[in-house]
Amino acid sequence: MPRVTLDTLPDYARFLLAAAESAAGRFPVRRTVRLPGLDLTAHLDAGALADAMGEAFIETSGDPPDPRQCHIFIGHPGIGDMPAPASWGDARFTEHGFAQKLAEAGLRGHHFHDLDFWQVYDPGRRVGVQLMRSADAYPPWEQGAPLRAFLHWEYAARGMRLAHAGTLGVEGKGVLLAGAGGAGKSGTVVAGLLNGLDSVGDDYVLIDLGNGVTARPLFSVLKQDPKGFARLGLERRLGTDRPLNWQGKHVFHITEIAPRPIPATLDILMLMVPHIGGGETSSIVPISRKDAMIALASSGIAQMPGERESGFRFFSDVTRLLPCYRLFLGTHPEEIAGTIADFLARAPDEAERDHAGP
Amino acid sequence: MPLSEVYAVASKDIVFESFDGEAVVLDLSTGRYFGFSDSGSKVWQALSSGVGTEALILSAAGAAMVGADALEAFIARLVELGLLAPSSATPLPPPDDLPAALAAASEPLDVSVHDDLADLITVDPIHEVEEPLGWPAVKQVP
Repeated sequence: MPRVTLDTLPDYARFLLAAAESAAGRFPVRRTVRLPGLDLTAHLDAGALADAMGEAFIETSGDPPDPRQCHIFIGHPGIGDMPAPASWGDARFTEHGFAQKLAEAGLRGHHFHDLDFWQVYDPGRRVGVQLMRSADAYPPWEQGAPLRAFLHWEYAARGMRLAHAGTLGVEGKGVLLAGAGGAGKSGTVVAGLLNGLDSVGDDYVLIDLGNGVTARPLFSVLKQDPKGFARLGLERRLGTDRPLNWQGKHVFHITEIAPRPIPATLDILMLMVPHIGGGETSSIVPISRKDAMIALASSGIAQMPGERESGFRFFSDVTRLLPCYRLFLGTHPEEIAGTIADFLARAPDEAERDHAGP
Repeated sequence: MPLSEVYAVASKDIVFESFDGEAVVLDLSTGRYFGFSDSGSKVWQALSSGVGTEALILSAAGAAMVGADALEAFIARLVELGLLAPSSATPLPPPDDLPAALAAASEPLDVSVHDDLADLITVDPIHEVEEPLGWPAVKQVP
C-alpha cells in the first residue's frame, strides 16, 4: 500500500484527479444538483451516497444566470482504473500543514485517516475527486451533507462561505444563529419552523457579503436528539420509525416541517448566539462582537478543511456588519419563536439602540 | 523570565482582528482562538505592533488594572501560548492615547483560550466535540 507524505501530497492529489477524469465514463450514476450559482454534478456508484445526492440538497429554483459547472468524481477501486486509496505516511499530520501544502499547488484537500478517505479539489478547473476504499467506506457525516468540503472550497474561492450556523427569518429578513454544538442552534431552528418562521437551513448555510449579509440554503437535513425530538413534538408529527443517524439523532428534512416553501435567500439583520438559559422565558441581550465572533468562527473554521485564514477574515467581516446578541432560550418552542420574530420585526430600532453600528 | 525589549507576533500562523477595540487571535496551525479582556486587548495591540516593553510599562503606570507584575506575567503567558516571541526589531514608541486607554480599562489583564474545537480535540464534524473520532494531531506510522 503506498503512503503519502507532505512532500508527495501535491503529486498524489494530481494523480487522483487524473485517475478520476480518465475513468469519467465508467461511473454508473450521474447526479446534478442546482445550487446558488453552481451546477454540481457528482459521478458515483449506486447506493446510499447516490440516494443522498438526490435528497440532501435544497436546489435553487428558476433559471439562475450562468451557473458554473463543477464535477466531483466519487470513486473507489472497481470503477474503471480507480486506484485503492493510499495511507498517510508521515509521522506528523496537521490539518493546517496539509491544507497549506495543497494550497501552494493551487489545490484543496482533506484526508480522513481512519478510512483512508481522500477529497481533492482543483478550484481552477472546478473538478474534484473523493476516493474511498469501497462504495460505502465514507465517514458517517457525509450522508447528511454530502460533498460539503467541495462546496466549502468552491464557494470560498468566490469570496463566499459555508457557515456552521442556523437561520430563522420572517418575510425575507433573518437572523444567523451561531455557536458550537450543544448551544441550542438546531432546537431553536426547529422551534421557529414549527411556529411559522422561515429558515434557509441549520448546520451549513451559504453566506454572501455582496450586498449586506445574505444567507442561502444548501442542505435540507435537520437533526434532533431523541430528547429534543420529543420536546418539540416531532414524535407525533414525523413518527419514530426512521433509523437514527450515527450520532443517535433523528434525521428529517426541512421541507417536512417548514410552514411554506424554503426562501431562496434571507437578508441577515443580526447575529445571535443561543444559550440554554434554564429560565422559563427567552430573552435577548447585546453581546460584544468579540464574543460573537468566537462563537461564529470557531466552529465554522474547525469543521471545514483548509481556508482557515480566509474564513477568519470573512467571519470577522460578518461580525462587524451585524448587531450581535445572546439569546437566552426559554423552555417553550412557541415562546422562543415568538421572541425571535418580535425582535426581528423591531430589528432596525433595536440595532440602533444597542450598537453604535459597525 | 526576563522580558525582551520588544516583541513580535510569533509566526505568520498567528492572525488577529479587532472588534470595537477588542482583539481576537487565531492560531492557524492549531485552530485555537484567543480572546482578551479590555486591558489585555490594549496590551496585545501594543506589543504585536512593536511597541517597546519598557515604554508599555511606563504607559501603564497610571492604570489600576495593569500593574507591572501583572503585565510581566501576562507577557510571559502570551509567549508561552505561542502568540508573541522576542524580536530584534527597534522598539516603537507607544501611541499617544495608550496611557489613557490603559487607565480606562475596567478588566484585569487576561487571555482566554478557546480550544474546544481545535485540532487536538476535534475534527469533524460537528456537534459531538466530546466524542473524538480518532483524529489526533500526531499520527504515528505503524
